[in-house]
Amino acid sequence: MKTIIKRDGTEVPFDEYKIFNAVYAANKAVDGEKMTSIDFTYITKKVLEQLEGETCTVEQVQDIVEQMLIRYDYEKTAKAYILYRAEHAKIREAESDLMNIYNELTYSYSKDADIKRENANIDGDTSMGTMLKYGSEGAKYFVDNYVLPKDIAKAHINGDIHIHDKDFYMLTETCCQIDLIKLFKDGFCTGHGYLREPQSIMSYASLACIAIQANQNEMHGGQSVPNFDYSMAPGVARSYIKEYYAALTEILAAKADMSYDAAKAVADKIRRETVAPTITMGEAYGEELGKWYDKEGNGKFSRETLVSCNKQAAESALARTDKLTYQAMEALIHNLNTMNSRAGAQVPFSSVNFGTDTTPEGRMVIKNLLLATEAGLGNGETPIFPVQIFKVKEGINYNPEDPNYDLFKLAIRCSAKRLFPNFSFLDAPFNKKFYREGDYNSEVAYMGCRTRVMANNYDPSKAVVCGRGNLSFTSINLPRIGIESARDWEVFYKKLDAMLDLVSRQLLHRFKIQCTKRGRNYPFLMGQGIWIDSDNIGPDDGVAEILKHGTLSIGFIGLAETMKAMTGKHHGEDEAVRAKAFEVITHMRDYCDRKSAETGLNFTLLATPAEGLSGRFVKIDAEKYGKIPGVTDRNYYTNSFHVPVYYPIGAFDKIAIEAPYHDLTNAGHISYVELDGDTAKNPEAFESVIRYMKEAGIGYGSVNHPVDRDPVCGYTGVIDEVCPRCGRREGEAISIERLNELRMKFPSVPVPCDCTH
Amino acid sequence: MNNTVVKNENGLVGEGIGFERIRRITGYLVGTLDRFNNGKRAEVNDRVKHGLTKNN
Repeated sequence: MKTIIKRDGTEVPFDEYKIFNAVYAANKAVDGEKMTSIDFTYITKKVLEQLEGETCTVEQVQDIVEQMLIRYDYEKTAKAYILYRAEHAKIREAESDLMNIYNELTYSYSKDADIKRENANIDGDTSMGTMLKYGSEGAKYFVDNYVLPKDIAKAHINGDIHIHDKDFYMLTETCCQIDLIKLFKDGFCTGHGYLREPQSIMSYASLACIAIQANQNEMHGGQSVPNFDYSMAPGVARSYIKEYYAALTEILAAKADMSYDAAKAVADKIRRETVAPTITMGEAYGEELGKWYDKEGNGKFSRETLVSCNKQAAESALARTDKLTYQAMEALIHNLNTMNSRAGAQVPFSSVNFGTDTTPEGRMVIKNLLLATEAGLGNGETPIFPVQIFKVKEGINYNPEDPNYDLFKLAIRCSAKRLFPNFSFLDAPFNKKFYREGDYNSEVAYMGCRTRVMANNYDPSKAVVCGRGNLSFTSINLPRIGIESARDWEVFYKKLDAMLDLVSRQLLHRFKIQCTKRGRNYPFLMGQGIWIDSDNIGPDDGVAEILKHGTLSIGFIGLAETMKAMTGKHHGEDEAVRAKAFEVITHMRDYCDRKSAETGLNFTLLATPAEGLSGRFVKIDAEKYGKIPGVTDRNYYTNSFHVPVYYPIGAFDKIAIEAPYHDLTNAGHISYVELDGDTAKNPEAFESVIRYMKEAGIGYGSVNHPVDRDPVCGYTGVIDEVCPRCGRREGEAISIERLNELRMKFPSVPVPCDCTH
Repeated sequence: MNNTVVKNENGLVGEGIGFERIRRITGYLVGTLDRFNNGKRAEVNDRVKHGLTKNN
């Protein structure tokens, strides 16, 4: 033996001392099987005798070392040696896989590399986007190889389950519903500076963004404001007061022929000495001015003059406040779409729920948020964030006689143009049972793509929205269970139960890690009292108890493909299959409820959103089982309990089939209807879909329709081949004269930038 | 998304500029199909419209 071929293919001189050393190291690791250097030399000699020829590979030598140790009865040493080999093989594999991933991240563009497009809202081509992926991929390897119990790691890697946000396994929780009213009271601290209690709608809106951003950097999922209208209304009230006294100063100066300063001194005095004006008081506030005059008197103007200022001041304040609120909402939308504050590569995943505040201030917030959304961003682009959710509630905004019905109508008009808001239904029985009139904490809210947190098994007295969120979630590859059960339901449920046990064990494993965290790990979430009951958590206090208010969710994907595999049809196609499909999901929900009762925690069932997952499971399954028609023959598994997107079905039938699953999936759900551009533009048609969702018992729903935009002429709507406004095709140029002409008709036509700067 | 509409020497605008197509993917809106992963891209292509007549 002259040379040995290493794993990387290079040939180096053979060194028998390395065999001696390896055996020595293995023996040292075991108890009660002491070998001497004579024994080491003997084994080395025996190995050398087995090797033939001029050269061999490292693997071949190692195989023979193993055989010789066993042959000469060094059983424990052999075991240690085998273990050592296996460990190193795993590490090598991990390292080389990880290095390959780093290689791909570094040298390919995201259009070519799926790994860079796992999440569509991250630009994988930017430095921070790539840095984020380096960290994330490295963390996943660490978790797989050193943290997870082996069977669970295997179940994830081979595609039985998907542990979402696995890169954050050792770090934090998914999401939280932030109560801005509580946060803003007396001001708050982001960890980098103290912010005073805001005093105008402008600062309310900008602090809302800051709060969402600060919390986003402490959690791995989206952040939600469950009561946006209620939260912003006090800001509107404060702006109104400011605007009122500013207007009063000017009007009084004019009417009483006073200097501005003198009038301002009077207005300031009134402000200090009377109750504050409100939008509701409006003209009635004149009485307060009169009462003030009766007490104070003033030689420069009469009582009548002062009182007569009120009407105009109130009108002016109302108009100004409305305008300011619009600007504030516009700024909020711009901020939430542009501040790449999440690890430097992403805007925060923000959601805002609204629609039920019937005060004039709350209504002003809702109206202007919708109007600003409808108008779009600077060049008329459709805002991607925040995800907007309009809460539909009978008696508040659902029927023509309801106080916020006008805003429901506006929401529909806005959604028909911009895809947001989505609609949540507080009257769905599973949401209604929590509802208490006038208490926003009892109004179910949805986060981001669908997360819902409401019931509280840990502390039923705190079945509230604010301060709670999901801790983590893991999804089951349901179609695979279907494929492997070969149409035998008994086998199916046995396999499903085993998988549910595995996932709940994994969720508890992760929960245990989360419970080791302390207040100092969350300077904002816990330090500022965002999370429920965290007000008294100091930097060194554990968070284990209060985390129990959160949910541990078991998700699923591909009910449609599961039913195809088990019956040959999916639940959209056949009534009998529909009953069977419903049984499957009911079984999963019952399991979650049992697990909650057993542990005192909140196990909930999730209709998984599955952005990256839709492609991952089916890819593995298609390789494993081949292309099974209707099951593995597409590049994606169908979202949760949805009727497949390719299946032709009417909107109302789709809603009726999917609605019952909303009741079962208490961790979150959403149903979509796809409308063509013309139907979506028809407000009656659009409203009929939303109303049908409500009547069918949907919890959360939305309408998809094509929203295209030509950046050259600014047209937003459906564009097939040719832009209906300027007549160009994709990539074609048009003349500047034509564009200027169009701008006369449509002021939103962007002004082209000169290429010289 | 490139929103800068540039004018070139001969007074023409828009050369090489495509249309933006906003789609909703698992609950989030995305401005360009380029950032969809392969599975979701296929799903978006397969989507059919739902009519509003009952029993269709």
